[in-house]
Amino acid sequence: MLHLSPTDYDAIRLSLQVAFAATLLSLPFGFATAYLITFVTFRGKMLVEVLVNLPLTLPPVVVGYFLLLLLGKHGLLGSLLNDAGIRLIFTLKAAVIASAVVGFPLLVRSLRIGMEGIDPQLINASRTLGAPWYDALGTVILPLSLPGFIAGSSLMFARSLGEFGATIIVAGNIPGVTQTIPLAIYEYASSPSSETMALSLCLVAVVISMVVLFLHELMAKKMARRG
Amino acid sequence: MRCLLSICLLVLVWTTFVYADDVNLSVAASLKEAINELSDKFTKTHPGVKFLKNYGASGALAKQVENGAPSDIFISANVEWVDYLKSRKLVDIASIGTLTYNALVFAGTSDKASSMRDLIKLEKIAIGSPKSVPAGEYATEAFKRAGLDKQLAKKLVMAKDVRECLMYAEKGEVDGAFVYKTDALQAKQAKILFVVPQELYPRVTYPMVLTSTGVKNRDAVAFFAYLHSAEATSVLARYGFATR
Amino acid sequence: MQLSMAVHKSFESFSLSTDFTVSGDRVGIFGSSGSGKSTLVSMLAGLVEPDSGEITLDGDCLFSSEKGINRRPEQRRIAIVFQQHCLFPHLSVKNNLLYGFKRCPEQYRSIDVDALVAVLKLEGLLGRGVTNLSGGEKQRVALGRAILANPRLLLMDEPLSALDDALRFQIIPYLKSVSEQFGIPYLFISHSLVEMRLMTDTVLAFAKGALVEQTTSEQLARNRMDTSPVGYINLLKLGAPSPADGLCSYPWGAAHLLISACSERTCSMAELSSKDIILFKQHPEAISARNLLQCRVRSLFNSGRKIGIELECAGNTLIAEVVQDAVNELGIVPGNTIYAAIKASAFRLLPG
Repeated sequence: MLHLSPTDYDAIRLSLQVAFAATLLSLPFGFATAYLITFVTFRGKMLVEVLVNLPLTLPPVVVGYFLLLLLGKHGLLGSLLNDAGIRLIFTLKAAVIASAVVGFPLLVRSLRIGMEGIDPQLINASRTLGAPWYDALGTVILPLSLPGFIAGSSLMFARSLGEFGATIIVAGNIPGVTQTIPLAIYEYASSPSSETMALSLCLVAVVISMVVLFLHELMAKKMARRG
Repeated sequence: MRCLLSICLLVLVWTTFVYADDVNLSVAASLKEAINELSDKFTKTHPGVKFLKNYGASGALAKQVENGAPSDIFISANVEWVDYLKSRKLVDIASIGTLTYNALVFAGTSDKASSMRDLIKLEKIAIGSPKSVPAGEYATEAFKRAGLDKQLAKKLVMAKDVRECLMYAEKGEVDGAFVYKTDALQAKQAKILFVVPQELYPRVTYPMVLTSTGVKNRDAVAFFAYLHSAEATSVLARYGFATR
Repeated sequence: MQLSMAVHKSFESFSLSTDFTVSGDRVGIFGSSGSGKSTLVSMLAGLVEPDSGEITLDGDCLFSSEKGINRRPEQRRIAIVFQQHCLFPHLSVKNNLLYGFKRCPEQYRSIDVDALVAVLKLEGLLGRGVTNLSGGEKQRVALGRAILANPRLLLMDEPLSALDDALRFQIIPYLKSVSEQFGIPYLFISHSLVEMRLMTDTVLAFAKGALVEQTTSEQLARNRMDTSPVGYINLLKLGAPSPADGLCSYPWGAAHLLISACSERTCSMAELSSKDIILFKQHPEAISARNLLQCRVRSLFNSGRKIGIELECAGNTLIAEVVQDAVNELGIVPGNTIYAAIKASAFRLLPG
């Protein structure tokens, strides 16, 4: 019933690897950004908010192209990395970066909503009880942002699973190395005679996404019951 | 009101019939510049003929035609895709002919490889996706016959057509790409590092055919005949295509 | 405790400007909503920065716009009991209580945790989460948490406003005893004159962002008698009641009061508004009111357009309010004997 070739299994493994890595990589940055936007007033805050949301509105291929300009051999950062012997383009690392950048706004958005729901008086209370701002961050804001973490991580994970435009540009379509599920399906889609194989892989993608979303809902319900 | 609407509809439908002069071409990516020049030359002698050109990987184009994309003339980079459309009765069998030939080369910006054996030393090699790009199919065939396919497995970056392959090679993001000789000749920074020995892959042949709709299009038929002419052959030769 | 605040703060629609010095361990801040008292509290705790001015507590400068000093909240050792308790929902009762305690430097930890838990009767709740506690339990935990931070000043920002009557008067003893027992001065913020009298000695009254009065809580209640819709509330200490013809008779000092509500406790407190006391120059023949007390006029005071009369009745003090004409008609002067009539239904027994 399910026809999956060895490269298909590779694609599934790579998709999961990229999604996990992108989510884990983004969490600390996402948390810091959401904290800054929610609790700190500073000049240029609106600019930061716009920049954070930019990948959400840009076509992923545009994001990919900018990443290529930045990280390619002749790019701003890429040339420095190249001298240090670090290659990013056409490696799995680039796929992780592409997914992280594209999913970042979703993560920050969910975290923000979680943080904005925290009663500011609680933070005031912790300050007056002797907690400096970083203590309040770790002992009050962090635990109470947990629902936001879960929502943001699942969204990010799901988005990474489906990321195509930026990925194909910076990571390329390398079977066994960077060919994630969407790239594999794209290749099948251009080829006239691989209908069943494409459908099998599509089915796997749907099942994985559904599992992630179910887990997300389960966690959200658990959080709601506790809070 | 309804009267006005039906008149508008009629005019619209009528105007599309009026532009039946359009010739829809589905052509393998490697022929882009050559066909552009040939169609321009044709328009000079046949004013009023408008060409709608679709360049891409032959397999992808075949799929589009199968799914109903408008196409009068189909030129593929291998026989497989013409056979594919033939089996689905989408082409005029009588018109099947060969336009030209090509050779497969390995092109790149650096001097890291000078033969097939050298490929295993490289990190990344771009080829067209064998599932839909004939150049990629030729390349993988060459790997198999040279016994290198397993060693090269994780080095292959899949491109959607030869032009994308060339782009990767030109940018230096890969160590080299398998493209046609004609593409390499057009490259600005990449150069031919070596020619793939012909015994490793079947001859690159460009079959061309009129589709079932194309055979009824007067201008398409005329252009199709033009492609067989001596003038067309000399243009193709100028781009590096082989005539036999 | 000595506190000096001379600060100024403007918002879009409101501005607060004040300059006062107050000393004492039980100080009240009185005002209705919009008077600026919450802003004052926030500035004192370091949560809001004044536009300009100076704040000094026990000689320690907490804020000075001139000298560029602005001590962070965690350094001021001023704890707050909030109106909405603000307990940490993700921590147990025990961890809530210990939150400030753990962050208090060793040399300042003078409060015994177990003793406090016992005083506030929180032993049984320690392991529980805070979300399912009753309102009163939550406020006790909030109080315990603030005290255990060993602050040098406790700010209680309308801690009773969110509670119903029964709870309110249940919590007041805790508030008082805990701070007396552990020696922590407090600033009690409220809009209730009764709460002020029960909890504080000196009161700072604010209105529309400015200090309008600085006086004792008793004096404030008397001053506000005219403007308050309930007049001056007499607080009466009653003994154990005994039934009497459908009413209950309570011992009150040397007298007895007949009250329509019957309590089950051996001692309770009742409220009686100054507006509900009718005065007679001579002993009336017969009246429907069930309480008739013979009192001596101790003094008179002005309150707006009304006159307050301090009466001594059977060893207790009562304040009645009348208009100037009545004073003239009845010829009320200090030293006179006068009769006070009160209906049995005019008393309000305080719960708890």
